Amino acid sequence: MFAKVLIANRGEIAVRIARACRELGIRSVAVYSEADAHAPHVLRADEAILLGPAQSQQSYLDIGKVIAAAKDSGAEAIHPGYGFLAENAGFARAVVDAGLIFIGPTPEVVAGMGDKTNARRLAAASGVPVVPAEEDPPHDIDGLTKSAGVIGYPLLIKAAAGGGGKGMRVVRSPAELAAAFESAGREAKNAFGDGRLFLERYIDRPRHVEVQVLADHHGNVVHLGERECSIQRRHQKIVEETPSPAVDEDLRRRMTDAACAVSRRVGYRGAGTVEFLLGPDCQFYFLEMNTRLQVEHPITELVSGIDLVQAQLRVAAGEPLWFRQNEIDARGHAIECRICAEDPAQQFLPSPGPILRLREPHGPGIRVDSGIAEGYEVPIHYDPMLAKISVWGETRDAARRRMLGALTEYVILGCTTAIPFLLDVLEHPAFIKGDTHTHFIDEHLRGWKAREDHQIVALVAAALDAARPQRGVVSSATAAAPAAQTTPWASLGSWRLGNG
Amino acid sequence: MQIGLRQRQQHHIVEVHADGSGYRLHYDGREYRVEASTTPDGAQLLIIDGQRHLVDLVRSGRQCLVAVGGETYRFDPESAVAGGHEVGTVAVPEITAPMPGKVTQVLVKSGDQVIAGDGLLILEAMKMENRLVAEANGTVTDVRVAVGDMVDGGQVLVVVRYVE
Repeated sequence: MFAKVLIANRGEIAVRIARACRELGIRSVAVYSEADAHAPHVLRADEAILLGPAQSQQSYLDIGKVIAAAKDSGAEAIHPGYGFLAENAGFARAVVDAGLIFIGPTPEVVAGMGDKTNARRLAAASGVPVVPAEEDPPHDIDGLTKSAGVIGYPLLIKAAAGGGGKGMRVVRSPAELAAAFESAGREAKNAFGDGRLFLERYIDRPRHVEVQVLADHHGNVVHLGERECSIQRRHQKIVEETPSPAVDEDLRRRMTDAACAVSRRVGYRGAGTVEFLLGPDCQFYFLEMNTRLQVEHPITELVSGIDLVQAQLRVAAGEPLWFRQNEIDARGHAIECRICAEDPAQQFLPSPGPILRLREPHGPGIRVDSGIAEGYEVPIHYDPMLAKISVWGETRDAARRRMLGALTEYVILGCTTAIPFLLDVLEHPAFIKGDTHTHFIDEHLRGWKAREDHQIVALVAAALDAARPQRGVVSSATAAAPAAQTTPWASLGSWRLGNG
Repeated sequence: MQIGLRQRQQHHIVEVHADGSGYRLHYDGREYRVEASTTPDGAQLLIIDGQRHLVDLVRSGRQCLVAVGGETYRFDPESAVAGGHEVGTVAVPEITAPMPGKVTQVLVKSGDQVIAGDGLLILEAMKMENRLVAEANGTVTDVRVAVGDMVDGGQVLVVVRYVE
């Protein structure tokens, strides 16, 4: 096993990886930007190295700096987490060339799967169904319109180099095509440094179902069942569950066989996820393979009892898998909700800010993976995900009720989060029935407004608070003032909290 | 005493009276009897007409932020006399940044005619592109930012003279 591992990431996932390292007796090295000097992921690690300014390109995305940090610290391996450099084949290659171990598949596999058009070809060659698509669309408007016409509307523009909804647009008519193509290309270039796009047919009302695989250096490939991640906004998942309410034993066998077939064909190793679209007719299509840990990996851990991050570390160190497929058993049901700094009443606009009060939920079967702390400023430079809650229950409904309780206990004051929205998703009759698809939010919760069931209680609290100082009774609860001197917002000049 | 609180476009007036160890509050024609205490970890236990509620409350500048039962509320204190009526929604001529971010594209220049829904500029924050649009038909009278500018939340970016 490694003695020391560098974690090339930030936020909750870097905290998660540092914990796995500690449990395996590995020293962890955090890297951070100037905006993250006292971020939880830095404080949790055994060592920490400053990479550079807040901008990702000069810190978390700077391959040279990350590798230099690994060499300087004496780390033997680099865990990339998800996002940032996790699916950057150039990074994986540079890690290997520096004589270090990349915790993930080979650079060739990262490159092969990272290029979505190539990934489709590999999947098709493995006998896995794929969605009709144009892999290399012309850039001139006439050619583009013609290609789009062949595939048919609605269609989806996707970044060839990335995932996570960046550089992705749905186009429903030829009139929208040119503007969407240009904007997606720009977003893709910013997010991944690669503006190449491809077009594919948009399957209406599909479920997003993905299969977790785990492979070692000795030819063993196993799957850990599926996750359904259909509840999405801006093409980004916000609620995930396992097992999928739509997948029966027969479909599970076919989907997991397909995922393992693709993984075997490319010589995969480490933890990976094969994503499928599952149509209302139970036909499934290969979407992409994510050659990294997923945000939603905890729900698989909760039902399987297998620690995926520890597994990644052990496999990368050369250990053979210590269990066979028939020894893996999923028990009960797990659900994850992502907690992001964004306002669900305003099209999920990012809502960065200070964390003035934080109370995380606790209790049986509740797990919180968090990258924030009370008093912490959420930087504007990175992804708005603050934390995620995962719960386990004996049945789907038990897990759902447990999640409702956990979300109700969760207190985050200072930046807006989607917690009230998530409560409404989980209480929606269609969700309760398991009738979920990727248009769920558009179809059921468009124009969502907070119910404000507790408005009177909140009003009473605020009115008493406003009345108290005049009565000479200053409540300690009102003493929390924003710590302006510690903000990483200095580059933004006159930005201040509230009205002072 | 009368407390005025604004919550987005809603104005609330709450009357607060001390009453023995607790309070009597009047709001919207109803009376509420409230016992309030602060817990050791800074939360507030409110007993409103016999019902228990655990509430968290912090101040952010002048704003009062309240969390209860998974919901959050934001109140601005205001003069109690000014309240009591709804503020209508009208197109605001100054288009402000909804959050701090970076201007990645400016789609209009001063003098341009715009119709409702036209893109004015693109602001990037937290890795997402956010398109700011004209709320009604009108003419762009001022563009105060350029591509590459870092802007603060609330900063005026574009001014549009809307036509009725």
